[in-house]
Amino acid sequence: MAYKAPIDEKELVKLLKDEKTASRAFETLLKTYSEPVYWQIRRMVLNHDDANDIVQNVFIKAWTNLHNFRGDAKLSTWLFKIAVNESINFLNKEKTRSQISGGGEDDSSFLKNLEADSFFDGDALQAELQLAISKLPEKQRLVFNMRYYDEMKYEDMSEVLGTSVGALKASYHHAVKKLTEMLLA
Amino acid sequence: MKQEEALINKYGKDSGLKVPEGYFSDLEANIMASLPPYKKAEKVVSLTGWQRVRPYVYLAAMFCGIWLMMKVFHTATQPMNMSLDNPPAALVEMIDGEMDYDMHYLPFSMMDFDNEDEDFIMSYDNIEDFKDDFYKVGG
Repeated sequence: MAYKAPIDEKELVKLLKDEKTASRAFETLLKTYSEPVYWQIRRMVLNHDDANDIVQNVFIKAWTNLHNFRGDAKLSTWLFKIAVNESINFLNKEKTRSQISGGGEDDSSFLKNLEADSFFDGDALQAELQLAISKLPEKQRLVFNMRYYDEMKYEDMSEVLGTSVGALKASYHHAVKKLTEMLLA
Repeated sequence: MKQEEALINKYGKDSGLKVPEGYFSDLEANIMASLPPYKKAEKVVSLTGWQRVRPYVYLAAMFCGIWLMMKVFHTATQPMNMSLDNPPAALVEMIDGEMDYDMHYLPFSMMDFDNEDEDFIMSYDNIEDFKDDFYKVGG
């Protein structure tokens, strides 16, 4: 899902900075960005309810920090950055929680949970791919999802993740190689 | 990239993840309903040159004050090794100066000896003779 903003971002930022027009402008922002931001989060955390909580937090954070947005980067980049940080924080908390409660999730319970999720209607192959993606290191997982599913440009990814284009290409290459080894060998 | 193509051919680009019917319109409404009041940007107040350096000036003045207090305290607590055998050089100099002043600037009459008295005393060879004559006069 390649993403292009169908609105004049400069105009929208101007409206967001004005108290009188901020609310209407934020509605436009939500209509434009809620879906791509949601999918960015959902592919990281997989569970719909978790993604729903996180996406709401992302937009509330964006609203309360509107005055800090200087307009140097694109609005979409700023929102994706918040979304990535929130997703990583959530995953770290989950990891700590599962370590405290005694060991992580094994493959069979991962697949069981995914297939039991009422908002997953994929087949066994899609579940198998999700399981393999979940085994990638965090950064490679992010890069793989952004490139493979969203077809995001490396330049845009670079702004969101604060990593050079070269490093991102290498990261994606490693991710694809690992997945191929895990799934197609 | 051949490996990427192999993945796409086998697994496709659909992740199999779905959302409830009408989820995004509900999401927008929910977020709009839960937004806190608009937070205005804090105004940046520009400072004058004096306002910028004022804390540093106050800090420097405070350190100077502390140094001065310590200096005064140190001087006040120094032991004074002064005695009649070991007078301070400044005191000796002052006394010498005053004596020189007396010698040079007092009126001549105040420094003049009574020559007659001295001649009278010196005319005796023996102190006993002087005492006899002295007590006779005093009678």
